[in-house]
Amino acid sequence: MTEPARKPLPHPSPESTPFWDGARAQKLMLPRCNTCGLFWFPPSQRCRHCLSSDFAWRESAGMGRIYSFVVYHRVYHPGFENDVPYVVAIVELDEGPRLLSNIVGTAWEDIRCDMPVHVVFDDAGSGITIPKFALSDRR
Amino acid sequence: MTAPSQHLRNRCAIVGAGNSRLGQVPGVSSLDLLIEAMANALDDAGLKPSDIDGIVCRGPDDSYAHHQRIGERLGINAGFSTSLDNGGASQILSVALAVMAIDAGLAKTVICGYGRDAWSRTHKSEEARVKNQTRPDAQHDQEFGPEYGYFGAVAAHAFGAQRHMHEFRTTREQFAEIAIAFREHASKNPAAQIRKPLTLEEYFKARQIVSPFGLFDCSLRSDGAGAVIVTSAERARDLKTAPVMIRGFGSFNNLTGWFADENMIHTAAKQSGEAAYRMAGIAPGEVDTAQLYDCFTYMVLVQLEDYGFCAKGEGGGFVQSGALRLGGKLPTNTSGGQLSEAHVEGMLQIVEGVRQLRRDYPATRQVKDAEIALISGHGGNQVCHSTLILERGR
Repeated sequence: MTEPARKPLPHPSPESTPFWDGARAQKLMLPRCNTCGLFWFPPSQRCRHCLSSDFAWRESAGMGRIYSFVVYHRVYHPGFENDVPYVVAIVELDEGPRLLSNIVGTAWEDIRCDMPVHVVFDDAGSGITIPKFALSDRR
Repeated sequence: MTAPSQHLRNRCAIVGAGNSRLGQVPGVSSLDLLIEAMANALDDAGLKPSDIDGIVCRGPDDSYAHHQRIGERLGINAGFSTSLDNGGASQILSVALAVMAIDAGLAKTVICGYGRDAWSRTHKSEEARVKNQTRPDAQHDQEFGPEYGYFGAVAAHAFGAQRHMHEFRTTREQFAEIAIAFREHASKNPAAQIRKPLTLEEYFKARQIVSPFGLFDCSLRSDGAGAVIVTSAERARDLKTAPVMIRGFGSFNNLTGWFADENMIHTAAKQSGEAAYRMAGIAPGEVDTAQLYDCFTYMVLVQLEDYGFCAKGEGGGFVQSGALRLGGKLPTNTSGGQLSEAHVEGMLQIVEGVRQLRRDYPATRQVKDAEIALISGHGGNQVCHSTLILERGR
C-alpha cells in the first residue's frame, strides 16, 4: 500500500507568522487594535475597523460558535482521501472575528449551525500546528 | 447611497447577440470561442468588425490585457476598450460600461463578451480533474483554506445554503426544484450541454459533493462563449435586428467578504437590484423573466429573495410553487442556465435575455409576451454583483 499523499500546509506570510507561531505554542493568536480595541482576522498590518497601525497580538479565549459548516465528500486534494467526509466550518469567535477551520471529534451528522465550540490544536508536522475546533458543552 | 443616473434609461440597446459552440469543445482556446461568439453576434446585428469602436470583455483568469488580444483578432482599434476583473459579475458590468462609454462619447458601438474553456481545463489531466482546476494555481489561497481541506467556490456557496437552511428551514427538495426546472428548460434547448430530464429521485441519489450540495446543485464545467453588441438607441433603429433596450443596470459589491456580516444570506443582489430597479423605473412585479447567475442552486434561491420576487426566507416556497418554470410566475433561466445549458459565467444569461425579449423562440421555449427581463451576475469571491434590466424594443 502506498503512503497517502501529504496534506497541503499553510505558507505563512509576514503578516500571519505570529498566528502560526502562536498555534505551535497551543495559543490562538489574533491581532487586536490598540486604538479601537477590536479584533480582526485574517491578519493584516492595519486595523480593518479604524485603519490604525497600532495593534498587538492577543491570545483568544478560543471559544465561539459555528456560523455555518459544510461536509466535504468529494476529494479535491489527495491528502484528504482518508479524511472524507470531513467538516469545514466558519467559526465565529467570542472576540468577534470569523475563522475558517475544521470541526473535529464529532460525526458530521450531529453538527448544526450555532453550536458552541472551542479551539483544539492539531500538530500537522513540519513545525506546523493547525488550530481546529471541537464541540463544547457550554450554553 | 447615490442614485443611479436615470438619463441612461433606454439610452442604449443590445442589437446583436451570439454564442459559440457550448459544452465540450476540445482543442479550441477560450479566445477562439469568444471570437466565434463575437462573429455570431456581428452576423446577428448585420455589422462588420469595422463598425465596432469599443470592446469590453473579461479575459480568462490568466490573461493580461485581454481586450487587446480580442481587438487584434477582430482587426480593429477602439475608442474605448478594457478588460474587467469582477468574476461572474463582469459580464453585465461590461454592458453597463459600454453604455457609459457610449454616453460619454468615447465609442459608438461596443462589443462585449466572455469565453472560457473550463471543461477542457478540468479534463486535461487526472490531477486537473481531481483539483477541479478552472483557475491557475497562483490564484489559490496559500493559507487559511487548503490546510483545512477548503477548496473554494462549492464550499463557499454551500456555507450560505447551510446557514439559509438553518435560519429559514429551507430544504434540499427546494434546491432540487431549481435544478429540475432548469434541466426541463435545457431539454428544449438543442445547444445545451445536458438535456436529459432530471427527476427528484435522481437528484437525491446523486453523490454528495460538499454537502448540503450534491452533484446536481453544482453548475457545469463548460467550454463556451457569448457576446452582445451595444449601441445608442438612435443608431439601433437603423440596424436590421429588433433592438432590445437597456432599461437599467446596477451593481453592488460586499467587499468585506462573503463570510462577513450576513453577506451569504443577504447578498449584494439586494442593493444591486435596487439600483437597477431605480434606473429602470420598475418594480420586481413587472419582470416577465429572470436569467439569474446559477453557479449553484442556492444562489438562485437567495437572489429571488434579494431581488424582491419574494420575501427573505421565502425563496424555498416560491420555487416550490413552480414559479421558475416556463408558464410559471417568473420563468427563470429559460435556456437551462449554468446548471444545464453551459457555465459561461453569466454571459449566456445576457444572450438568453435578449432572445426571449425578441421572442426568437418557438412557443415551447418562449416566455409568452415577454417585455422585461432581469439578468444577474455574481462572482469575485462571491461578493461582486451586477444587474441588468432589458426591455423589448418598440
